Amino acid sequence: MREHRLTFAVSLLLLAASVALALVLGRYRIEVGALVEILVSTVSGGDVDPSLSGSSLVLWSVRLPRVVAAVMVGAALSVSGAVFQSLFRNPLVSPGILGVTSGASFGATLAFFFAAGSATVVELSAFAWGLIAVTLAYQIGRRSGNTVTSLVLSGVIVSALFTAGISFLKYKADPYQQLPAMVFWTMGSFNSIVWADSIRALSIIIPGLIVLYLFRWWLNPIALGDEDAMTLGIDVRKARMIYIVVGTLIVAASVSSCGAIGWVGLVVPHMARILVGSDHDALIPFTALLGGTFMLVMDTLARSLPGGEIPVGVLTALLGAPFFAYLLVTNEKRGGWQN
Amino acid sequence: MTGSVHAMESLLAVDGIAFGYRNKPVLHDITFTVERGSLCGLLGPNASGKTTLLKCINGVLNPKEGHVRVNGENVGGMTRREMARLMAVVPQQMSLAFSFTALQMVVMGRAARLGALKLPSAHDRDEARAAMKELGVEDLAERQFNELSGGERQLVLLARALFQETPILLLDEPTSHLDFRNQYRIMDVVREMTHAKGLSTLVTLHDPNLAARYCTHLVVLRDGHLHRSGTREAVFERKTLEEVYGMEVFVQQIPGGPSVVLPGRSMEAR
Repeated sequence: MREHRLTFAVSLLLLAASVALALVLGRYRIEVGALVEILVSTVSGGDVDPSLSGSSLVLWSVRLPRVVAAVMVGAALSVSGAVFQSLFRNPLVSPGILGVTSGASFGATLAFFFAAGSATVVELSAFAWGLIAVTLAYQIGRRSGNTVTSLVLSGVIVSALFTAGISFLKYKADPYQQLPAMVFWTMGSFNSIVWADSIRALSIIIPGLIVLYLFRWWLNPIALGDEDAMTLGIDVRKARMIYIVVGTLIVAASVSSCGAIGWVGLVVPHMARILVGSDHDALIPFTALLGGTFMLVMDTLARSLPGGEIPVGVLTALLGAPFFAYLLVTNEKRGGWQN
Repeated sequence: MTGSVHAMESLLAVDGIAFGYRNKPVLHDITFTVERGSLCGLLGPNASGKTTLLKCINGVLNPKEGHVRVNGENVGGMTRREMARLMAVVPQQMSLAFSFTALQMVVMGRAARLGALKLPSAHDRDEARAAMKELGVEDLAERQFNELSGGERQLVLLARALFQETPILLLDEPTSHLDFRNQYRIMDVVREMTHAKGLSTLVTLHDPNLAARYCTHLVVLRDGHLHRSGTREAVFERKTLEEVYGMEVFVQQIPGGPSVVLPGRSMEAR
């Protein structure tokens, strides 16, 4: 951990810089001077200059909740990805690949279909179906040879199943009332985030991340394999439960607040591994930091690129997929992943 | 440990172990003991149940019948943590999905002694380095485990077992992927550790000559049954080896050295 102090410091600065950028950039431009002035007057408890009231409103009610949600969701998806990779000793998995994301999206859509979108029901349903999806993927993978590839393939199967379920629900949904909201779960975006959403997601994601942070070192022996971890004194079954439940919970909270955003949970853990190595002592907090920054930068790009806002998932895929292809090729050359 | 412990007390006792997968029995009524300070070799042809027996002993598998006792205490009801303070296991061959340094690997030997949610301290890391130094591999500390040679990996895993500070050491085919020289180097270290720390060591081996050279006691399995067990002198003889490996052999005493076994004519050729 100590040897990575500089890496952490630089990444924290990068996160701070991207937060500042995300606050000023956008269709409604807030000058840096105005940002500083608004912040200063808020901290000192005074009133904001009337000429800045528009900027202040945009800042507090539109930009900030979105920034908070993007950072939290980025951290949640990435940490969950790192945890699943180590837990299953599989560099090719992520919440997306394992079907957690599509399971949770299905759960959210289902709740929307029957319960007309009560936020709590959406979250509970997303969590329950996410858990069902990862359990199915894990069990099918284990029974079909328990290899790196079999787990990926069973995740593909489970994802396909739940994606079909979502399509069915969409087909049956009321095209004016329900359908537009359902499309949201399948195409992730932060553009309708308000404080209520951010706080709701936060209240689950932050405790979840704290639990995973506290239990991070157990992942070292667990990443060696179940038998080895057992002989080192780890209660693997209990630990696996904790990681799967909490990992799924924070993904479900993310999906409920902003829909399914792919690739982040697969690619960010690998970037973090390259930078700080596989020791989870450093890897878990660093993945959270990097994931938050990555998602925020992607979201800021998505809404400030010329030509109008595009869904952030499009950008994460555009960047994530080639990067992962690069990893796949370079690791194959080093003899890496398909053991 | 109390002071009244006798030097040759049987520390590890395997008592009537039976195991099977679904309808396929693998082990039948295996009983033997490993004394403190002795290096016990587990011999037998492929599929005789050596690895399964080892997993029943370390609790990765639950035996269908019988139990394992350490210092007279049944380990059946113990937690993984309690078990890991009694037995260290050196696995057969290991390559990692994610790369750890050799030092990080050794430090994991401390897992069973860390407080709840505690991480290894700088002190733990120093002690792990000391364990590596004892086996002469301290130079490998910062190297990536996956980039080490087979022999170096085994030494690092032995250092991890040493760092685990258990009275019992279990090794599954520690020499199976090593070249000629490294097989002897690893077994030298295993013997040295066993004597220096007064361990009860149980090691599965393919090569009966390695067993003859290093082991003080031998347990011989055949088709999941215990065929013979006892001191090396009693067990390592022509008749037993011919029965177990199903081939004609010669056993010869090297002057001033161990016995060696050499293949004779094939049984089928007769």
